[in-house]
This record gives sequence, structure tokens and C-alpha cells, in this order.
Amino acid sequence: MKKRGKGIACMFYPIGFTSYPNPGSAFVKVNQDGTAVVFTGATDMGQGSTTVLAQIAAEELGIRYEHITMVTGDTEKTPFDLGSVASRVTYIVGNAVKRAAHEAKRILLEVAAEKLGVSPDGLCAGDGRIYIKGLPERFLEISEVARIAQMGKGRPPIGSGSFNPITTFLDPETGHGKPYGAYVFATQIAEVEVDTETGVVEVLRIAAAHDCGKAINPMLVEGQVEGGISMGVGYGLFEEMVLDNGVVKNPQFTDYILPTSLDMPEIRVGIIERPEPTGPFGAKGIGEPSLLPTAPAIINAIYDAVGVRIRELPATPEKILKALRETDQGKA
Amino acid sequence: MKRAIILVVNGTEHSVEVQPSDLLVDVLRDRLRLTGTKKGCGTGECGACTVLLDGKPVNSCLLLAIRCEGRQITTIEGLGTPDSLHVLQKAFIDNGAVQCGFCAPGMLLSAKALLDENPAPSEMDIRQALAGNICRCTGYVKIVKAVSSAARTMSGAEGGGR
Amino acid sequence: MNGSAIGVSRPRHDAVLQVTGRALYGDDYERPGMLYAKALRSRHPHARILKVDTSRALKLAGVKAVITAEDVPKNRYGFTHLDQPVLADDKVRYMGDVVAVVAATSWDAATEALDQIEVDYLPLPAVFDPVEAMKPDAPKVHGDSNIVSHIKIRSGDVTEGWRISSEIVEDVMRTQVVEHCHIEPHAALAELTDDGTYVIWSTVQRPFLIASDLSRILQYPMNKIRVITPAIGGGFGGKNEITIEPYVCLLAAKTKRPVKMVLSREEEFCGTTVRHPYIVKYRSGVTKDGKIVARQVEIISDSGAYVSWGESTLSKASIHAAGPYFIPHVRIDGYLVYTNNSIGGAMRGFGVPQVGFAYECHMDNIAAVIGMDPLEFRYKNLLTDNSSLPTGQVLEFVTLRETVRKAVELVGWKKEVEWE
Ligand code: FES
Ligand code: FES
Repeated sequence: MKKRGKGIACMFYPIGFTSYPNPGSAFVKVNQDGTAVVFTGATDMGQGSTTVLAQIAAEELGIRYEHITMVTGDTEKTPFDLGSVASRVTYIVGNAVKRAAHEAKRILLEVAAEKLGVSPDGLCAGDGRIYIKGLPERFLEISEVARIAQMGKGRPPIGSGSFNPITTFLDPETGHGKPYGAYVFATQIAEVEVDTETGVVEVLRIAAAHDCGKAINPMLVEGQVEGGISMGVGYGLFEEMVLDNGVVKNPQFTDYILPTSLDMPEIRVGIIERPEPTGPFGAKGIGEPSLLPTAPAIINAIYDAVGVRIRELPATPEKILKALRETDQGKA
Repeated sequence: MKRAIILVVNGTEHSVEVQPSDLLVDVLRDRLRLTGTKKGCGTGECGACTVLLDGKPVNSCLLLAIRCEGRQITTIEGLGTPDSLHVLQKAFIDNGAVQCGFCAPGMLLSAKALLDENPAPSEMDIRQALAGNICRCTGYVKIVKAVSSAARTMSGAEGGGR
Repeated sequence: MNGSAIGVSRPRHDAVLQVTGRALYGDDYERPGMLYAKALRSRHPHARILKVDTSRALKLAGVKAVITAEDVPKNRYGFTHLDQPVLADDKVRYMGDVVAVVAATSWDAATEALDQIEVDYLPLPAVFDPVEAMKPDAPKVHGDSNIVSHIKIRSGDVTEGWRISSEIVEDVMRTQVVEHCHIEPHAALAELTDDGTYVIWSTVQRPFLIASDLSRILQYPMNKIRVITPAIGGGFGGKNEITIEPYVCLLAAKTKRPVKMVLSREEEFCGTTVRHPYIVKYRSGVTKDGKIVARQVEIISDSGAYVSWGESTLSKASIHAAGPYFIPHVRIDGYLVYTNNSIGGAMRGFGVPQVGFAYECHMDNIAAVIGMDPLEFRYKNLLTDNSSLPTGQVLEFVTLRETVRKAVELVGWKKEVEWE
């Protein structure tokens, strides 16, 4: 018989290293044609951070995204970054990039202010222009301002920035302290169908509601959530590296089972945006948290469907059948 | 015992000296420098090394190069170029179907083989066709979406299919 | 104004290169005259190394160099504990320990040479169960205790908590070992340039950590070490620390030729870090109206042969072990234990998926005991704005309830929910 059930799981997760300083840094230069280059040690391993950092730079500089070039992941050419870990790049390196861009922009604003006859604070940048706040028709092209700054005033528009979340170490006896700068939150609900003859679980649907502060790039945020869910499905149902006296028994994908396209449920992602005041444009992070609630939501859904509680991951058909038999015997 | 064979890759003939034990994936990557074909496991399980052999997807890490003599081999380099993307490649980009991108060449070729055979696949058809290609990053959602959107584009009036 | 760059779903910056097969990943790099490196790993989970003889291997055609522990200027690394050798010296402590690395003119020549390296081992008693490993008479992996760290979090007074509870629920949960399985295996290529700079292309998430670790291991200045990350085929924490970079550097220096190394899938499983398996014990007290008033958690984390990120992972797990709920009385103890198993390292979620699985299943079990709907039970106890955590940290903005409502909006719940 096939039985359906629903399970829920919530989570909270911090952005950045536990207690240890974990700064990120960036340099920004605006070229005299109004294009810009961002240098940062942050590395994109597939999560999309380089794209997000370019969006942050574009927004802060008021330059089109297409006019930003990113130089990343080269310890000789870029300033220090701690790395693509701890869901930290958008929040920490994003802030560093924003600060570096702000510093470069400041030079542009000062040069433009002289030309437009207002104070730099009365100006803003957007759409490749610098214009008077509230009077967008009074503007100068950034390319022109950058050229004047560099070649006319001898002030190349460059900037550097770094960011490190404010944290403290934990008291070794009580564990008290402030280990993180920002937190994200999520809830997932899984709907499963359990075959009571075979013990096979099919995950039908997962709803994933994640707060990431601000989705700088909603498609990439969704991608992180969907990918995290697939890793969570594997963690909950399939994956286990078996060690026998220290020897790995299944060191190949042949019998270490990863989720395939056929194992994935329908996924409904809900992004919640409550801007984080310390984040770049309100953003926090999403990389790791996406996977956290998936496995427990599935295990709880199995419980709801067939009344068995799996206490050891993964919930293989063998374990489910065994538990089903035990509950049957308990009832008999 | 080296032997000279002719491999037809992406329509071009290449003469290469191979050992009978040389695998197609290594010949493509190391000798022809077509590094778009990836190697994720070497045991036929991940699909990163997928190429098309006479239009059918195969794991090039399991295939001896000498067995491919005279057959039509298509690698990702033959699907489209940055200036002239295949509809599938464009759909992968627009739908965010690539994260780390390591599975993408194999995925795209499996998807191409599917669409060549079945221009209007259902979601299940797509999932089945891609089941031999593991993606650890995306959860497949956007990949499936990209393939079905490419299928629609190719069959629709927009044209652009190659 | 055509608006903001923020909130826009742009494709990845390098997507065109990725889909056309033009993005260059670790193994796609090549340098003229490049050699290929392969590692010889341990044959025992725990053994003393008596002798390593590389002379036969060195005589083979195509073999250009073999390195062993003697070739490493500073043979220990680690983030919180400098306990891990680049190349095993006194002992091997798990099957993945590397004893020697060969550089040869082809992959085949390097692989064949591994068989010709003679290593004399004295097998030692080993320990694979972290609970056993905690006992005083267990075989020791390092030093005189296998308990590496004990993390404590205390808030309120659990004794008082038990007193005011009307139900107390206990659970023990276990999580398994999993591998990152980034589809791209680790790959690194090192070249020592004419001006004495090591240039290393390596598929890592943290190029600057690799550079500083290399600087210490090689005893070489950081301005002469340049780490470049090519396109990376996934990481998930698996490419979060130094692995094969010291080998290719040492071999490049020894042979004066560029050296490349790529791990096989089997080596990814057997010789790189994994997600720590945890044993987690929960005990929670609830009042009649469904408020959690006390929670005690004990975590045992199997670190494997070295600490790697084990202590920081356990500390993150401990900090979050009470779950996203407001609980006045909390006591958490986390133990990190050495065994002769694979090394636990950083992996997406860093300890929290393990405790998250446990606390969320525990929550359902409590709900069942008190006869409450699992969603309503959670909703009642979730952290809200300005809640404080067991660490004392106050969270100003908490959107947990919004996320619950959103998830229900997306797929519904078992019943109509009446929101408080
Ligand atoms: S490399 Fe061929 S299937 Fe994995
Ligand atoms: S995008 Fe990374 S494996 Fe598919």
C-alpha cells in the first residue's frame, strides 16, 4: 500500500565563521570610459557569488552590470578573502565590494560636484550617470566624470574596502558570547509517499521558505535552494559512505547513491526578504541553509505517513521495512 | 602497440595514434585538447563525460577510442560556440541551469540526443533522459526547465534551432 | 531610470563559457613538460611506519621523483590543531593517509611506480567507534586521549527546567558519513617559475588559505606563492583546505618541471574529508501547554584521524543544537573524538544538518507525546524578534514564523492552521 504524509522542519543558521575574524576585501577601479573592474579574492565554486558581487558593485557605482569586470581567485592579483565558506560571500565580501565601490564613487562625486556646482552629498549615481538628487535631468555621464577625474584632475577613481562581522569568542565554560554577525531562517514542508510493501519513499513535493535578507539575484537564490534540497534528499534517503574497520566499502558512485533527476520532488521556493541592516543592500546568505531542513522534513513526513520513526540516517527502504515490521509486531 | 586511427569529431577528421586500451575521454581531452568533455568518476556513473556517438549519448570514459573509428562523435565543442549558441545552451544560460557547470557539457549532449529523437518531451521524458547525468549543484529543477523551454523554442515559430 | 542591479535574475557571469565547454577547470590546465603525480596511501588504518624505500620506484622508466615525509619542511597542518601530516611520518592513522607521492612522465608510469614503493608497517590496534574511543583504555590515535575537545553551552538551569516540566522526552539519533561528491575531483598544477615563484592552479574554495598553509609547509614567502583558482566544479566544503597542493609544489621543486595531480573518484571517497557522523542525545522538558522549558543535548562527533575542521564544526553544531526555539534552560555538551576513520571536515551546513535532523525529529516526537500538531508545537516555541539564544546572543530580526506561514502557503499543511 502507498501512504502519504507531510513533515515540517525549521532551521536557523548563521552567516560567517564562528567567532573567528573572517574578513573579506576588495579593490575597485573605474576606467576612464566609465567601465569598472572589481578585484576580490572570493572564489566562485558554482554558487554564483561572482555574479552577485558584480551586481553589488554595479548598484553602488551606478554603472551597468555589463560594464563590470570581476577579477577573482588569484592570490597575487586580488586582496585577501577568507574564502567561499560559511555562506559568507554575499554578506561579507558583498559588503567589502560595496565599500570599495563607495570609495571609488566618492572621487567621482567630488569631481562631478565641482562641475555641477553642488556638494558631493547632493549627488547620486545610477544608470551610468551622476545626477543631482531629485533632479535626474541634471547629470553627467560617469564616463565623462571618470575621464576628468583621472586625466583632468589626476585623481583616478579607485577604492578599497574590507568587512569583518563583529563577533566575540565564546566563554569556554558557559558558551556565552556573540559568535555571528547575522542569521538566516527557513522552513521546509515535505510531502512523501511511502510504499509499505517495499519501504521505498518517494518525495512528492517540497516547499522551501527561506529568508535571505534580500535576494540580490533571485534566480541564483532559487538555484541554491533547489540544489540544497537535492543534497538534503540524498542525506535523508540515499547517501552513506560505509566504513568497515576504516576501509571505505563503497568508494564509487555505483553504490554510493546520489539523487538523480528522477529522485527529485517538485520544489516550490518561497523567498522571504527582511533586509538585514548590516548586509549589502540588506542581503545575508543562502548557500548552506538550503539543505538543512530537507532531511528532517522528509523523515517527519515518513512518520506522518506510516508512523515509523527513523532515528539513523539515511532512511533506506530496509530501515523503513524493518521499522514497519516492528510497529506491526508491537500492535499484534 | 600504437595504432593510427581517424576520429571524426564535430565533423572534423583527426588522425591520432592510440593504444588499444586508450579511452575516448582521454583521447578527446589529452590528445585533441577538447577539454569540454569532463571526467567525474571514470566508471560510467556520473555522465560528465557524455558525448554523442552517431547521435546517441555514451559515456566516453567507458569507451575505447579505437571502437569509435569512423563514427560521428559530437562533443560539447561541436554543439555551439559563444557567438552561435545552440538553443539548448541558450536555454541553460537563461534558466540558470548551470551552477558549477561541470555537469553541463554532458547534460547538454544528453538533452540534445533527447530532443533529436523527441522534439516535444514531457517532463518525465526529460527526467528519464537525464537520469544518467548527475548534477550535485542544481537539484535538476532548472535543468529540466531549460530543456523543456528549448524544446518549445525549437519546435515553435521562433526558429533558431540548428 | 531603468533601475537597480539588485533583485535581478542574471545568469552567471561565465555561463557562456560553461555551456560551450570553454570554461577551464582544474584538470583542463596544462603546462609544457608537465609531469603527473600519484599518491601512495596507507595499507592500514593504524600503523607505525618503520621504513619507506623508494629506490626501486625511482629506477622505473618515466619516474622523475618520489617524495616522502622527509621532503616536507614543516610536516603538520590544521586550522585549530596542527595535527595532520602532509605526508605520514611516524604513523598512519587512517586508510587515506598519504605516505609517498610519485611524479612521472605519464599517469600510467606514476601509477605503476606506486607498487614499487616499499613501506614497512607495524600494525597498531585501531579504534573505529567514537564511543569506544572515548574510553580511557582505547587505542590512542594521537597523544594520550582521543577526546580532542569538549564544547559547553549553558543557559539557565536545566534542573529547574526538569522540575517545571510536565513531560520529559528523550531521543537518540545518529547520522551517517557522507561525501561532498562535487562532480569535479580535486586537481592541482604547480609550476616553479624562473624567478622562484610557485604558481599553483588549484580547485579550491579558499585560495588564500592554501597560500598561507603552503607558505608554512614549504617555509617559503607568501609573495612567492601564487594560488589561482580556475573554474571550480563544485565544492560544498570539500575543497576547503589544503590537500594535494603541497605535493605538486614539492615535486615541481624537485624536478624543475610543472607537476599536475588529479584525484580519482575513489580517492575522493577514501582520502578526502567527509561530513562528520554524529551521535546526538536529546532530552527536553515541556509544560502542559506545549512550551519547551528545558533541553539537554549531548553530541559525539567522530573526527576521524585528524581534527581538520572538527572543532569548529562541533562548535557550530553545539551553538545551534537547541534548535530555533526559545528555551530558558539549556545544557549542551559536544565531544570531538579521534578514531581511525576518515577525517570529518567542512561540509555544507558545518555540523548543523546533523543536529538539525536530530532536533527536528525530536520536536515531532515531543509533539506526539503531548498530542499536539507538530507545526503548532513549533510555531508556539519558535524564536521571534529579540529572542536570545543559549549563547546569550540576542537576535534582533527573526523571520521564522514568516517562513512557516510561507511554506504552508506553498503546499498546505495536514489541517487548517490557526495562526496565533
Ligand atoms: S566520467 Fe564517465 S561517467 Fe563519470
Ligand atoms: S552544476 Fe555542478 S554538477 Fe551540475
